[in-house]
Amino acid sequence: MYLNEYKHVHGLTSSNDHVMEKWLEREINLARNIQTKLLNGSIPSIRDAEIQGISIPARLIGGDYYDFYPLENDKVRIVIGDVMGKGIPAAMLMILTRGAFRSAAESTKGPAETLTAMNKALCQDLRLLKSFVTLFCADWNPITNVLTYASAGHNMPLLVKGKEKKVMELPKALGIMVGAFTDHVYEEKRVELEENDTVFFYTDGIVEAENKDREQFKRERLINTLLQHLDKNVDEIGKHVVEAIHTFTEGVPQKDDITMVILKVNKKSDMTKTNFSFISSKE
Amino acid sequence: MFSYELVQDGQSVTIYFKGDLDIEVTEIMEEIIQELQFFETIHINLSEVLFVDSTGIGLLINLVNTLKQENKHVMISGTQPEVEEVFKIIQLKEILGEEIFVK
Repeated sequence: MYLNEYKHVHGLTSSNDHVMEKWLEREINLARNIQTKLLNGSIPSIRDAEIQGISIPARLIGGDYYDFYPLENDKVRIVIGDVMGKGIPAAMLMILTRGAFRSAAESTKGPAETLTAMNKALCQDLRLLKSFVTLFCADWNPITNVLTYASAGHNMPLLVKGKEKKVMELPKALGIMVGAFTDHVYEEKRVELEENDTVFFYTDGIVEAENKDREQFKRERLINTLLQHLDKNVDEIGKHVVEAIHTFTEGVPQKDDITMVILKVNKKSDMTKTNFSFISSKE
Repeated sequence: MFSYELVQDGQSVTIYFKGDLDIEVTEIMEEIIQELQFFETIHINLSEVLFVDSTGIGLLINLVNTLKQENKHVMISGTQPEVEEVFKIIQLKEILGEEIFVK
């Protein structure tokens, strides 16, 4: 009697567990779809440059983030960030960060102002959740060829000089991660880019990727890879970086999310012709 | 694999962190916070930490802030160059206060 009851209860429990597992699996997949769709949004076609973003989560869902926001006069605002933690909790905060970026990008004049507004909007929630986000925000202006940028505790992107065939870090812009101090004001820096220059924005998952001997990929390997492929387009550069990391790690499971945004400056288009054809087509 | 060791000296304690400071430390950090409640001065030694990621930094910030809120005197020492580099990027000294980092 007891045994039968136990079997019945046990049967119910395992069937409930099974149902629960199915629900969880389905919901994780749905959450992953939402995140993938939001993260892999449309890449804007920008004047006189090409841009690409790649994000590979360490788990089913990631906490890294990148986004683009078209501004007036063909300018584009770029953001890349790393939310503390991994998996579903980080993904939830990443969605919050995306919302803050989208509304701040609309109403602010430059990247430093965007980060200040995002920090103001997110700080209270992040402090409550004992979390933070590192962010790097930049505006690319194809008319002046100037990249204006600000950082919230994020690593500086690498600048690949196409003509000189050398790689350097962008001059440091000071700023503390989002979620630390409510009224933090971010420093803004600018750099003039030339034709064939590439800016490689990335998260620490790339340089901290480890092989089986626990060696890290490090910035030097990343720089070498970028130098080897500096003549390629952004899609190819991205693929080669991912490939170089995979070759180096030799199948060791990825510990952290890997995310990169690549901006490459192309030859200046002839604006007189563009304007003329625009007027012609209107007529 | 992360572990820690406490060396007590009256009301002071030195806690030696050993291993990677990353997401795997989340639950252990709760345990550490409980253990450190009993001391007035806490010295966090990071000489055996060779890897820290953003989650690990977050855990360290939470640990220091929780202890500071309880008016405990906290110090961090023994930071390895690789870890120091990550602290610099994130500007950890500005966040936690330069005075807590000792040699």
